[in-house]
Amino acid sequence: MRVVDAKGVGKTFGTGSESVEALRDINLTIDPGEFISLIGPSGCGKSTLLRLVGDLTGPTSGELSINGKPASQARSNRDYGIVFQKATLLDWRTVKKNVELPLEIMDIEDSAAADEMLDLVQLGDFKEHYPWQLSGGMQQRVAIARALTFNPSLLLMDEPFGALDEMTREQMQQEVLRIWDETETTVVFVTHSIPEAVFLSTRIVVMSPRPGQISDVIETGLDHPRDVETRESPEYYRKVTEVREALRRQEGHG
Amino acid sequence: MTDGVARKTGRWALLSPRTRKNLSVAGVVLTLILAWELYKLIWSSLGWIRPVRPDDVVMPHVWDMVIELFRPVRRGGNLLILDLLVRSLWTLREAVAGFVVGGLIGFGLGVLFVRSRLAERAFMPYVVASQTVPILAIAPMVVVWGGAIGLPQWMAVAVIAAYLTFFPVAINTLRGLRSPDPNSLELMRSYAADPSAVLWKLQVPSALPYIFTALKVSATAAIVGALIGELPAGFQNGLGRALLTFSQQFAVQSKKLYATVIICAAVGIFFVGMVTLAERKFVPHRETLEPEGEMLARASAGG
Ligand SMILES: Nc1ncnc2c1ncn2[C@@H]1O[C@H](COP(=O)(O)OP(=O)(O)OP(=O)(O)O)[C@@H](O)[C@H]1O
Ligand SMILES: [Mg+2]
Repeated sequence: MRVVDAKGVGKTFGTGSESVEALRDINLTIDPGEFISLIGPSGCGKSTLLRLVGDLTGPTSGELSINGKPASQARSNRDYGIVFQKATLLDWRTVKKNVELPLEIMDIEDSAAADEMLDLVQLGDFKEHYPWQLSGGMQQRVAIARALTFNPSLLLMDEPFGALDEMTREQMQQEVLRIWDETETTVVFVTHSIPEAVFLSTRIVVMSPRPGQISDVIETGLDHPRDVETRESPEYYRKVTEVREALRRQEGHG
Repeated sequence: MTDGVARKTGRWALLSPRTRKNLSVAGVVLTLILAWELYKLIWSSLGWIRPVRPDDVVMPHVWDMVIELFRPVRRGGNLLILDLLVRSLWTLREAVAGFVVGGLIGFGLGVLFVRSRLAERAFMPYVVASQTVPILAIAPMVVVWGGAIGLPQWMAVAVIAAYLTFFPVAINTLRGLRSPDPNSLELMRSYAADPSAVLWKLQVPSALPYIFTALKVSATAAIVGALIGELPAGFQNGLGRALLTFSQQFAVQSKKLYATVIICAAVGIFFVGMVTLAERKFVPHRETLEPEGEMLARASAGG
């Protein structure tokens, strides 16, 4: 069964002369275990597409099913873990309590889950710290742990490393790949960075603006596990170039 | 005060924020006393009488006001301070009762409004309008109606205190409940959290700093409400009554009035202090959670 199946999905914000067509005729299928990146110029509807998948907003046309159900059903089944660019941790809760928040809300009794997740993101020593005692990168790792505690089948990430410096960023990419490998979740990942998309993804969805559409889908085909070597391999450079050209082609159109 | 500023880069920065705050408050009080006495001294030695005549009736010495507290209210009576303390308890009872009821109503309204735009649109205008009617106009009505339904006098006064309390609490609760980051709300949505989980796990904790800010304002307002409410209620036992009596006898015993004012202020400060203590307990501030060492390091680095 497909994790994501979008048929002719469109999204228009507002009505009348004020309306903005953010997405038009999106056709996309994602299989279990894939790592999909959405890339494209600002305003091309990447976040909107991610939010449609996560049922944070509804499509105005077309059909969208998640794990074979409507997105709203998937949301009530708690199929989604979401990570935003801002970690948005709760200031008054410790790291561990933050990670336990989804469990509390879902009435899941699993005292080990938070500890496991914090170990997974290598923050086992910071459980009793408060969010503001952590660096930006550490906060984002907490946010990732929080999104994974309840084993969602689909992890949605909207520019999660956008606010991090290059070094931390590469480190986090490595960790996300490791987590993806260990947890077997499907990931949809929004990014502005071509190297990041190539390094992380199994497939890259290239989007073009006004209205947002899918212009190319590129298989990366790089071997797993990926590491520093991968970043220096010729195949990697070739893919980076391919994505860059796909993005440049649409500039010609627009 | 200038002393404090000068020391800011030196030893001042090494004091804990709480000590610094206490010292500043003490500094303000001392400055006021000093200003009062200096005015008296300068104006009387130069023979000036404007804007205020600096004689011992209009402007008694600060120490005379304090001494007055330890004189009998009337010949053979209790010490003034004892009389005033007993009165303070009565007034505090009205104020606290009104504060609690008004606070709960305000919180309830905030929750109602954040849940329902419709309710907000329907009732908010009335909530705002309620505060445009002067308390002095409301108080007698409340007293009359309270009497009509058999409410004890002090409860009628508490209603007036509640009337002043609920408004800031309602407005700030609403603001606080709306303060969480939209992304936090979206995360809650993605957990399929029911509205009460969103309220208690996200919105209310986010609102606490706002609510306590309002409660501190309301604590003073509740005291004012109680003092004012006692007058039309003809309530004999409270501080409001003492204020009225002594102001009528101002020409002969102004020191009693000033002494009473000091006690009223003390009661207000006490009440606000209690609320502040509760705030420290329930609202974890970064400063208080931060290990002392880091704070010092930062304070000295930042200058
Ligand atoms: N809530 C909204 N109301 C109205 N218009 C919106 C809303 N959200 C997005 N849009 C519009 O939809 C279009 C796509 O926005 P979106 O945020 O999905 O872009 P994006 O690709 O994520 O951009 P960025 O890379 O800058 O984050 C934009 O034109 C934007 O103005
Ligand atoms: Mg975006």
